[in-house]
Amino acid sequence: MPDSANLDKFRPIDFCDVLDRIGGDTSFLKELLNIYFQEYVEKKRLLEGAIAREDFTQVCELGHSLKGASANLSLIRLQRVAITLETAGRERQLQLAQEAARSLEKEIQTLKVFLEGNPPGKSF
Amino acid sequence: MKILIAEDDLISSRILQKNIANWGYEAVLARSGEGAWLALQDQDLRLSILDWMMPGMDGIEVCRKIRRRKKYKYTYIILLSAKDRKQDIIAGLSSGADDYMTKPVNFLELRARLQTGKRIIDLEDKLLVIQNQLKDIASRDSLTKIWNRSEIAKFLSEELERGQREKKPTGVVLLDVDHFKKINDFYGHAIGDQALLQVVSRLKRKIRKSDKIGRYGGDEIIIILPSCGLAEIQRIGDRLRLSVGKRGIKTDLDSVPVTVSAGCATSELPATASADKLIKVADGALLKAKAQGRNCVIVAGQDPEPVRERKNA
Repeated sequence: MPDSANLDKFRPIDFCDVLDRIGGDTSFLKELLNIYFQEYVEKKRLLEGAIAREDFTQVCELGHSLKGASANLSLIRLQRVAITLETAGRERQLQLAQEAARSLEKEIQTLKVFLEGNPPGKSF
Repeated sequence: MKILIAEDDLISSRILQKNIANWGYEAVLARSGEGAWLALQDQDLRLSILDWMMPGMDGIEVCRKIRRRKKYKYTYIILLSAKDRKQDIIAGLSSGADDYMTKPVNFLELRARLQTGKRIIDLEDKLLVIQNQLKDIASRDSLTKIWNRSEIAKFLSEELERGQREKKPTGVVLLDVDHFKKINDFYGHAIGDQALLQVVSRLKRKIRKSDKIGRYGGDEIIIILPSCGLAEIQRIGDRLRLSVGKRGIKTDLDSVPVTVSAGCATSELPATASADKLIKVADGALLKAKAQGRNCVIVAGQDPEPVRERKNA
């Protein structure tokens, strides 16, 4: 049975960390997560185009941007994937970028499912 | 106090904005380097949080531009970045940032760092006030508080240049308290000082806001008159002279009769191209006024027919 610290590693969001950052305001966290998902739609579209064109500069920029936004919301797993995406762009690795884009989409869906069952404000 | 948040990432910007508002600051938002630079034209924006990576002009370039500008009060800059390598931090600080924080930001730390920035801004403001006070003290005569000789000479040079550009004459009236030495000898220096203060006070009431008055020497007062030509200066000189001599000056001891002599010159006259030359011409006229019995006004280059009311001790 994993302890609570280990359990946190598997969660897509570290609620304690992000709520500490925004003064414990759960409704504000909901607002920020909505912004994140809305922006992701546009970033995903841009990322697909950048990968298709092999525009590694834009892949890197999108990875960097997603890394920052994910870190701000303590979306640990998404942050890790975004770092991979940024690296893929910087090192011009097409296959790595494609894999990272797929992982990104998967992690977004995981986060959405997690948040449906564990909305901000629910005690853990 | 207003703080600029220059951050292209909306989430980061919203979190910063909310925290800053909770700490009592007013947030001004920009989403690009160009937007940040535009916002920083506001002189009241003294604290700024700049993201390094922004579309167009990045935070580093904004820092450099801020540090290059002159005539602006100090802007305290905290540079934010996900770049956490030593060389990045050095590059950020070398661009002119005062502080550097890595993302994601720890907000307790940011609050403390903003307080540091505010402390530095407050300190700079206090220093500027003191600097201005010292500059003012150094520019004024210690007794009368009117401009001192070097300052008034500077004003005259500037006014002559402006007059040349705008094709307008500049007038100078040099006044000397008649027999001031006798006043000092008879009543003492304290009463002499009181008399001089009253003379200055009376003269100041008769000049325009755009005119400048200074103490040129011991009992010599100089007045610079922008846009004043030979056609007006005699009348102005007389008005100034009369304002002093029309009644005795009340001092702690007695009412002291005081008159002044005045020498006037304007930049329309020959050999008046510089401040020194113009003053020299006015001084020549003043000497003539003294020679012609005092309590009168002589305009250089005019027929010496001084207006004189009475001779005084």
